Amino acid sequence: MATDDRLHRILGSLAAVGAESLAPGRLCEVCPEIVGVSGAGVMLMSGDVPRGSLCATDSVSQLIENLQYTLGEGPCVDAYLQDQVVAEPDLAEPATRRWLAFTPPALDAGARAVFGFPLRVGTVRLGALNLYRDRPSPLTADQHADALVVADVAARWVLEAQAGAPSGTVAADLETGADFHFAVHNAAGMVSVQLGISVAEALIRLRAFAFVHDRLLADVADAVIARTLRLD
Amino acid sequence: MTREADVVRSLVEMADTLVDDYDVVDLLTGLTGKCVNLLGVSAAGVMLTHPSGRPGLVASSSEAMRLLELFELQAQEGPCLDAIRTGEGVGPEVLVPGSRQWPSFTAEALEVGFQSVTALPLRYRDVVLGALNLLSTTPDTMAEADRIVARAFADLAAVSIVHHRSNVEAIRLNEQLSAALTSRVVIEQAKGVLAERAGVDLAEAFARMRHYARNHNHRLTDVAEAAVAGTLDPTAWQPGSAQ
Repeated sequence: MATDDRLHRILGSLAAVGAESLAPGRLCEVCPEIVGVSGAGVMLMSGDVPRGSLCATDSVSQLIENLQYTLGEGPCVDAYLQDQVVAEPDLAEPATRRWLAFTPPALDAGARAVFGFPLRVGTVRLGALNLYRDRPSPLTADQHADALVVADVAARWVLEAQAGAPSGTVAADLETGADFHFAVHNAAGMVSVQLGISVAEALIRLRAFAFVHDRLLADVADAVIARTLRLD
Repeated sequence: MTREADVVRSLVEMADTLVDDYDVVDLLTGLTGKCVNLLGVSAAGVMLTHPSGRPGLVASSSEAMRLLELFELQAQEGPCLDAIRTGEGVGPEVLVPGSRQWPSFTAEALEVGFQSVTALPLRYRDVVLGALNLLSTTPDTMAEADRIVARAFADLAAVSIVHHRSNVEAIRLNEQLSAALTSRVVIEQAKGVLAERAGVDLAEAFARMRHYARNHNHRLTDVAEAAVAGTLDPTAWQPGSAQ
């Protein structure tokens, strides 16, 4: 099927759910049906680092993003860093051993196949589209091609949404439904004062704690904020 | 056959620049050189229209060409300007003294030694971005095969320019988004710092930060940066501040 036809079909699906406003969340919503996956999410990345999630259709997709934010490894991270599609159609019996920390919790949550599609406009790399299935299976050629179009549209939408934002602010359309892990930064501020260290170092300490105790960074941050956890 | 291979290689080289970050002026200067080498013309020049709509000279294959194009712009008449205005190819024209088509341009071009000219618009869909000017020191008009190649070069240059411009815009927007997010992050970090220093919750810490910023006419982001750097005035998080 020609790319233009694919694009028209996908834009048609978006119109059907009333997606006139520029929100990547809408794209996420239609992804499962268009591409044939159980859930989808969009990860924003810059400077080689995950910045957060722009949207996620369900708790598993949220966890997939959260794991990659915590661990710095996973299908979206790889897709972004390598600037190519990353596919793991059978997470429990992968062809290549990778993501040793990411894989067990992802499997526990019910993800059996994961895919990462880079979000790119021209030479600009924005992040990646996150897709998972609750059964192990590869994407068909058509589904792969559809996902490429969705990623392309999502990337353009992110930039167009930002184009409308008042100077110095994140576009409102991008913040809705997004998770930029502000709690982690709140916690880093608190820890920096508690331990008498810089905020940058506090972030490192939080990550180290999460790693050692096998917890999500977001959960550790929440505990610090709730004052049920101190790192000293 | 050698010429065909050269043309194909030139087109591929230009197409490659669609992918990498590159400079439009470099691309177009290279284009003028390729035109001279492969099309049997003596000189080539490219004009692009500025956002204001006015044409400007961007690249030429020689100094003589550059001066002639500058002359064309100043005199506001000539083949390149016509190609931009009409969006259609101009020529091939043999230049004759006393021509009424471009009286000043023709006189100047003949003076410099050029005897014939062809100009092709740089078009992307319905938009004319500029024009490619091709001049020869002989009166022979360009062969059809050469004009086809010139057309291909012009089209590819137009696509490259459009892609480059949209890429520049994309880079700008992405940097804006990244910077805006970083500012937010610093504010969130500052909330944590002040919450801990003042022994209050995050919402109260934010209220005190905003209040301090307003009272002292500072930007919130500057106050946040100072809090994170540890240089913020301690009155900023004291209870008296948030009245």
